[in-house]
Amino acid sequence: MSTENLVKHLPNDIGGAGCSDDKVNIFERDLYPWEKRCHALLDVLDYHKIVNTEEKRRGTENIGSEMVGKLSYYEKWIVSASNLLMQKGILTPDDIAVKTKEVAARFNVVL
Amino acid sequence: MSENHDHSHDHNDGHHHDHTPITIDETPGYYEILEISIRELLIARGLIGADEVTKQIEVLDSRSPVLGSKLVVKAWLEPDFKDRLLKDGNAAAEEMGITIYDNTAFTVLEDTPELHNVIVCTLCSCYPRPILGLPPDWYKSKEYRSRTVKEPRAVLAEFGTLIPEDIKVQVQDSTASQRYMVLPLRPAGTENFTQEQLESLVTRDTMIGVTIPKINNN
Repeated sequence: MSTENLVKHLPNDIGGAGCSDDKVNIFERDLYPWEKRCHALLDVLDYHKIVNTEEKRRGTENIGSEMVGKLSYYEKWIVSASNLLMQKGILTPDDIAVKTKEVAARFNVVL
Repeated sequence: MSENHDHSHDHNDGHHHDHTPITIDETPGYYEILEISIRELLIARGLIGADEVTKQIEVLDSRSPVLGSKLVVKAWLEPDFKDRLLKDGNAAAEEMGITIYDNTAFTVLEDTPELHNVIVCTLCSCYPRPILGLPPDWYKSKEYRSRTVKEPRAVLAEFGTLIPEDIKVQVQDSTASQRYMVLPLRPAGTENFTQEQLESLVTRDTMIGVTIPKINNN
């Protein structure tokens, strides 16, 4: 199979790629509180020019096609933000590992 | 929601304003823990203010399609305003007291008897959030994003919208810096409607372009 399409289209570039059988799942729901906080956090990061909107969008496809396919919308956002903050040297992997462990313990969750 | 989506947001009593608390009661999952961790780390480093995320949640909650419907109806009633809205969406929104807080260009696409517009973001989920609030899940879905540019009439039909073949359908793709909204046609038979009655016809979906304003939807 040709690999050319993988080069020409990054994972998010799906305009026109859809199949007519894949109907749009039309429904309404409210965001979970953490999803709204995640949205607001990324807006704040954009205001401060720490992570801008286009960097965040690109970050959601630089997580690899498996995660692009399996993670939910805001799961991709927070992973994208986490990766970008590490790439920019603002946070280190250790910072995040230590802090997530601390937060998990607060809720009696073991990561 | 295909049968009742035009009732999914109430244009008469304004936006939801539930002030989602920053604290949580249920056991969070991995991604929520990551969100909490990153936010707290950035606050501790002084990179973002402690109350900024809470304040931005209030901004998000204050935005709803009610704002868009006011722009549309003002454009229907005042030709001069319509000209200004089509020429410079940002300035016209500011005129109505609506701040485009995310610093994006806001362009309004006018439907005519010969042309129907529909918006999409094929790459992600770009959407005129300051005017319409947060987009519905289906707008962000792979199916809507991947199919709308290829077969818009088939996608619109799934929303119950059948556009006659002699009317051109134009699909506008959005970007991180350029956002769009549709200015739908004012339905016939609304000549005696009040401003409020007109606003109730202009739902979120009519400004995305997946439905058209209908009197019997009210």
